[in-house]
Order: sequence, then C-alpha cells, then structure tokens
Amino acid sequence: MTTSETADGTGVVPSRELGRLEQLPIRRIVLTILTIGLVVIVGGGILKTLTLSGAEHLGWAFWANLVVIGLALGAVYALIALGYTLVYGILRMINFAHGEVFMTGAFVSFFFAQAYAASGFLNRSPWLSIAILLVVSMAVSTGVALLLERICYRPLRNAPRLVPLITAIGASLFLQNTFQGFFGAEPRGYPRPDVLSGTISIGPVSFDKMDPVVFATALIGMFVLNRFVQRTKTGRAMRAVSEDREIASLMGIDVDRTVVVTFVLGGLLAGIAAVLYAMTFGQVSATMGFLPGIAAFTAAVLGGIGSIPGAALGGLVLGVSESVGPYLLLSGVHVPSPFELRAVITFSILVLVLIFRPGGILGTGEAEKV
Amino acid sequence: MNRAAFVRAVKGGLLGGVGVIYFALVGMIERLDTLSIVGSVELSWLLILGPPFIAAYVLARPRVEAGEMRSASASRALWSGGIVGLVSWGLVAIGVGLVQWIGIDTVRSVFRSVSPTLIQILTLHHPVWPGILYLAPIVVLGALAGGALPLLPRRVRRPIITASGVVLLLGLLQQLVPPALDQLHIQRNWLYSNVTLGLSWIGAIVAFAVTFAITWFLQDRSLRDLVAGGPGARDRPGAEARVRTVLLVGWLALGAVLLAMPYLVGPVVARDLGFVGIYLLLGLGLNIVVGYAGLLDLGYVAFFSVGAYTTAVLTGGQLNTYKGLAAPILGAHLNFFLAIPIVVLVAALIGVAIGAPVLRLRGDYLAIVTLGFGEIARVIFGSTWAKNLFGGSAGMTHITDAAIGGYSFRTELHFYYLALGFCALAAFVSWRLQGSRIGRAWNAMREDEQVAEAMGISTIRYKLLAFAMGGAVGSLGGALFAVSIGSLTIASFTIFVSITALAIIILGGMGSIPGVVVGALILIGLPGVLTPLQDYQLLIYGAVLIVIMILRPQGLVPNVRRSRELHEEEVQQDAWMRPVEEGEVPVARGIEA
Repeated sequence: MTTSETADGTGVVPSRELGRLEQLPIRRIVLTILTIGLVVIVGGGILKTLTLSGAEHLGWAFWANLVVIGLALGAVYALIALGYTLVYGILRMINFAHGEVFMTGAFVSFFFAQAYAASGFLNRSPWLSIAILLVVSMAVSTGVALLLERICYRPLRNAPRLVPLITAIGASLFLQNTFQGFFGAEPRGYPRPDVLSGTISIGPVSFDKMDPVVFATALIGMFVLNRFVQRTKTGRAMRAVSEDREIASLMGIDVDRTVVVTFVLGGLLAGIAAVLYAMTFGQVSATMGFLPGIAAFTAAVLGGIGSIPGAALGGLVLGVSESVGPYLLLSGVHVPSPFELRAVITFSILVLVLIFRPGGILGTGEAEKV
Repeated sequence: MNRAAFVRAVKGGLLGGVGVIYFALVGMIERLDTLSIVGSVELSWLLILGPPFIAAYVLARPRVEAGEMRSASASRALWSGGIVGLVSWGLVAIGVGLVQWIGIDTVRSVFRSVSPTLIQILTLHHPVWPGILYLAPIVVLGALAGGALPLLPRRVRRPIITASGVVLLLGLLQQLVPPALDQLHIQRNWLYSNVTLGLSWIGAIVAFAVTFAITWFLQDRSLRDLVAGGPGARDRPGAEARVRTVLLVGWLALGAVLLAMPYLVGPVVARDLGFVGIYLLLGLGLNIVVGYAGLLDLGYVAFFSVGAYTTAVLTGGQLNTYKGLAAPILGAHLNFFLAIPIVVLVAALIGVAIGAPVLRLRGDYLAIVTLGFGEIARVIFGSTWAKNLFGGSAGMTHITDAAIGGYSFRTELHFYYLALGFCALAAFVSWRLQGSRIGRAWNAMREDEQVAEAMGISTIRYKLLAFAMGGAVGSLGGALFAVSIGSLTIASFTIFVSITALAIIILGGMGSIPGVVVGALILIGLPGVLTPLQDYQLLIYGAVLIVIMILRPQGLVPNVRRSRELHEEEVQQDAWMRPVEEGEVPVARGIEA
C-alpha cells in the first residue's frame, strides 16, 4: 500500500481492488458458515435417528446403556485430563506427552497382570492383584512423568511457549517408539479377573461389570486429589504458583519442588487411569496413549483448562458424547458401526470448543490470546 | 582428584551405561550391526562407545565454577574419562550377567530385542565369560578419548572433529558414493572395501588426513578473503566483483551437480532423492507457516493430502472398489501441469478456511487445533461417505502420469527432475518472500504480535496469507507424491507426516532455507540409503525434536539474517537459548529498562 498523502489530506488511501477484498470479515463469514453447517448436520442427524421406525427404532434402554459406558469412559478421561490441567495450571504449558505417560503405566503393569493371570493369582485374589497392578502402574507413570519434567521441560522453563510444546511432541514420539522397540509393536491382551467379566443388568439396562469399578475408582481418585489441592500445604503452594510463579517464589515457595509435585500427581492419576482403561478395553500397545491423550486434553479444554472440577466435568461430558454421539448422529443415516468414529467426535469437539469457547465450560476465557 | 569430581565421574559413567543399555534394549545395536563403517567396525559400535564418550567429553569440558571458567586439568580429565568408561562397562556387564542368570528366553519374553546375537556383539563373539571382559578396554578407551578431546588446543580439535565427521559420513553413504565414483571412472577400490561395503582402513585414513589438512589450512581464514586474494584484500577495488564471480561459478557448479545427480548415483538413490524432494516441499511450506510467521501447525498433513487427492481427482485417478476400478463421481482428465494451478489454489483456499476460525488462538492452542484439523482431514479423505470421490480406505490408483509430450516423469531418473524443479520453485518463492514486505511483516508478527499490530501490520491478513502460502507449497508436495507412484492410500497421510516435516525444519533451523534442505537430506535421505535406520526413523525424529530444542534451538544451519544482524535486542531475546551455567546468576529477562 502506498504511504503518500492523499489529495484531501485525510491520509486515507482510496482502497484498491485487493484492499476491498481485504476488508471482508473473512473470520466472521467462515464462522457463520461453520455454525450453519454444524446445526444442519447435528440437527438433521439427531432428527433422523430419533424418528427411525420399526425394527430400527432405538429404545431408551439402548441409550441408557450408552450413557453408562460413556460415564465409565469419561471417568478415565477425567483422570488423565487432570494431569493436563494441573500441569497447565502451574506451567501454562501443554504436556503433549501425557498420553504416553498413561501408556507406559498400562504397558508395564501388563507384564505383571500377565504373570498373575498365568499363576492364577489374578482370580484367587482379584482385588489384591488389581491393587498391586495399580501401584505398579502408578509408580511407572510417575517415574516417566518425572523424567519428562527433568529432561525435557525444566531446561526450557523460560523459553518461548512453543519450545516446550515441540519437545513434548518429540518426547511423545520418542516414548511411543521406545516402547515399541523394547516390547514389540503388536497389541497385547490385558487379562481381567473372572469376577469382573460379564455384565450386570438392572432392569432392562445392562452394562459391563468393569464400568462401576472404573467409575468408583476414578471418583475416589479425583476426590483425594481435590482434598490434597484444597487442604494440604503443598496443595496451597500449587495454587499459589499457578496464580503467579514469581510472587509465589518471593513468598518462599520452592517452585521447582511444586512443579515436581504437580508432575507426580499427574503421573499417579494417569497410572490409575491406565490400569482401568487397559482392563476395560482388554489390550495394551505402544500407540494406545495417543487417542486417550487427545481425548483427555479435549476434556480438559472442554471443562476449562487449569480447573480441577472442570477437568472432571469435561471428562464425563466428553465420555458420554463419545459413546452416545456417533449413534445419535449417524444411526439415522445408516452408517455402519458408528462407534469407530468416536475419534471424529473428539476432534470436532476439540476444534469447536477452541473456536467458539476457548475458556471451556468452567474456564475464565483465558485461553484467548493475551 | 577430589571427591566431588569422582562422584560426577561415576554419575557420568552411570548415564553412559544407561545409554548403551537403552540402545541395546531398543534393538538398535543389533540392527545396526550389519552395517560396516570402516573395515570391520560396524555402526553399532558408535552406539556402544558413543554414550561413555559423550559423558566423558561433557565432564572434561571447561566449566563455570564460582563464576569463573575453569578448564579441567589433563590428569583430572583423563581420570574421570577412565572412571566413566569403567562404570559404563560395569553397568553393561551387570546387564549381560543378569540376562545370563535369568535366562535369555525369559528376558526375551519381555524385552524383545535381547537376543543371543546382541549378547555376542557385546562379548565380541566370545563366550560370555570372559568375553565381557574384552569389552572393558574398548569402552574405557572410548571414554578416555572423550575425556582427552577438550584438552587438545582448539586449532587441533576442530579439524579432528570435522575429519571424523567426514569419515563417518563417507562410511554412511556407502550406497551413494561408490556408484558415483564408478560412473566417473574413478578407481575406488582403495577407498571402499568390496567385502564389508564400508570404507577400507586405508581409505578412512586418507579421507581423514585430507579433510584434516584442508580444515587446518582453512581455519582462521575467511573464505571470502581467500577468494578476494589474500587477507585484507576484501576492501580493495574489484574484490567485490571477484567474489561475485566466484559465487556465480559456485552456484553454476552446484546446479550442474544437481542436474547430473541421478545419472551419477543410479536409479535407487535417485528415487530416494525424489522422495527427499517431496518432504523438502513439505518442509519449505511448513517453514513459511512456522519459521516465518511463527504459527505452529501440527496438521500440516492436511495440505499434503489435499494436494495429493486433488491431483488424483483432477488428472483422472481411478477408485479402488471391490468391483474393480471406477471413476470418481467428480473428476477430470487434465494434464498434470494444468492441474497444478488448480491444486495450489484449492490448497490456498483451504489454508484460509482452516486459518480463519482459529486466528485468535494463542500459539500452543493453535498447534492442537491444527492437529485436530489434520486428523479430521484424514478421516474425511478415508471415510466411507466420500468413497465415491476419494476411494475411502482402499484409496485411488492409476493416477495419470505427469508428462510433457512423450517425456514421462514416472521413472526414477525423470521423477528426480520433476521434484528438483518443484523444489527449486518453492525455494525461490520462499527466498524472495523472506526479504519482501510480506516476509518482514511475518517476522515482526512472530516476534511480537501486539507491536506488529501497533505498527500497522494487519495480523489477520498476514496470518491468513501465511496459511495460504504454506498450504500451497505443501500441496505441491502432495501432488508430487500422487504422481510419483500413481496410487494413494489413506495410510500415507497420518499425523507422522506433520511431525516429520516439523522435525525437518527444527533440525535445520526455523526460517532457514538451507536448513530445510539439510534437514530433509538428513532425516529423509539418510534413512533412505541406510536401510537399517528405517526402523528407527520415528524414534530418531522424536529425539531430534527434544535434543535440538534443548541444545541448539536455532538449528544446524541457522537463519543467516538472524545470526548476521544479531544486535542488542536479539541477543537479549535469544538469551534463553544459551544454557544457564551452573553457579551463574540468571539475568532477569525483560525487566531491564
């Protein structure tokens, strides 16, 4: 554009052809198109599914069943999402490798589970062996989370924001391929004690025996975490650091230690989630961390990243959307096996939340550009 | 040697040992044992000796103690080198012992890579006892070398490092250099062995000596001075013209070598270079988005797939269906070169469409959203709904060959030229953009968005432009990919494409065009000619992302402008790149007036 003075002295250069094009509110146009498209797709899909008739009609028991599955899945997501949210709250950084922290716990505990299944210990005392598996998985996940913090993130604490994100992506790829190299690329079947196999029926609604266990364990985990952060001195230090790192350190809080505690908490919760997830879906592999990782991140964003109740709520909402959504949207248009498309739901929710409400349900809107 | 130094040496040795054990467990040592570098020394030895060597080297480097630079004394450096070597070996020996004690089959049921071959490599093909003892002197010598390296004067050290690097590179390029020498009718039996395929000992020594001599002669002398005719001649009249002539000749020579390349190295390597070209285009495109404009795009694969599928549809690709081939419901039979402008336009529009809704997001969120877009693109192209257009999971095939008249580009040798042409075009565009008004606006925006906006730069416009330009260049890579083999499946368009492109520009240096070329050659070209490395490509990319970001965030070939014009603010702004030494008081950044 020219910088010369204009004849009328206002300094406004008459816009050329390109200039006019530039003034189009491209962002608003794209957003409007997106909104209309979304409403049409979602509304149309739901309408067609709910008006299915005859043999294809899906009764309420079917939906209730999906909701139960979704709640169990969502509880696992919530546990992982807490790891993202805690780290984000303290360091303002996305720990992209958290999905792999989850994977390592599941993978190592698999070898114990396998041995217990072979020796019959798993069925003789299922609760004790699950407790041991949880401890193993939590220990491994915590160890990996600590290594990550020490090697990949601590040297870059004062670097521009994108730098630790790039190392986190590197770490995620590295851990995935390391485990593939160590233990082989093929998925392994994760054993489940007989007590927890099969389904329970309450009236017409029947669900996997694992589901209530998962839900209860996750709730206990979240409850303990919340007490820890709200009641203990360390928890208070964490909240202080997340408010303002510099001021907190002036007040005598050891920031390094607080960051380490944060990663430990994230690792512990990911370790719990790992055993629950592996036992529910019955298999582990080196790449199993990617999708739950993204889903949990979505849950954290959905609930409002940085907020602990937000992560719990986001996890449950996402879990239910993932299990109900594909059937609700796609059954009407006769897409075969809609459950396989739950990843699309996750990604779409992630993108849409970040576009329309980056602060999340309970967030402060902070995710918008500073 | 005091207690603290001893403890440090033991720690270093433990880390070195853990490094060796890691390489063993992940399977790299066994896999790379088939590849001879010099004589009968295989690449695996680099992994066995590397960790203790590096540990000892780091310990012997001058370090800051109580605010002063202190070099380690010769005796201390060597002592700690020896301790590092012994401890590393001890750890490996304990590992081998444990495997023997537990039983190799039991260990193998968990750790897949622990095999009898691995144990044999570590015991130098002798029985485990006393074979493992034979490893000790080798590891200790490696660590001693690492400890001794910082003791050498700089004038000697740098040529040694360069010469060792050249020998290693020649050894690694054993599939590329010998055929080229044969084509040029240069006798090469003295350089490469016909038995191990690696360098011969004589060849290695000669290569080392020659490189050493050249580096020795060149150091402290600027090339520019030499060309201008001796030191201080740079300012004499006519010197500038002379430099320019030499530069021109250099560029012409480079062009000639590039043009002759496929005939020198043969079809196999030419095919590999064509593949490097595809990723070079992705790197150049992503470099515009990430390096110039500072927008981290993790869904760059979307443009790769848009380029590939649009090309396939426009040039008459056929759908794979269970009933046989079928034409897509919407398609044309354009010539490849007529289709390209449309492909580029489509990609640029999609870039704007992806960019527009996410413009307000901060950097790391932008990265995650684009990652989501990349995955959504993959799902759309591979979905059952769009299978009448893009073939679903079975993909497309019979994509029309790119041809000018009767000159087809499908053979390896010809495809190389197509890739070369596209890359040259993209590099030229990137180069011209860099210094242009647009490039400078991107620079400003990357450094500080608010200030840029205050200076009258429309950040929205320039962000969209970056997405559009980056997408357009990336789609060229996709188009090239589509015609290279003439068929597509959705499995080629995973998130790993995005991460590979990212690793290329991070390794080379963000915002640097030569950096992207170097990055693509190392990360794509090297595994192409070194088959055993291919199994560990993604592992290496992950490691590259971590190591480069921590140790050398500006990359291997940093952006010239940034290093040439380093003035006060940039030094300050890049201060985080310099690791804070132990004992140094970190400067409070950003508070100074």
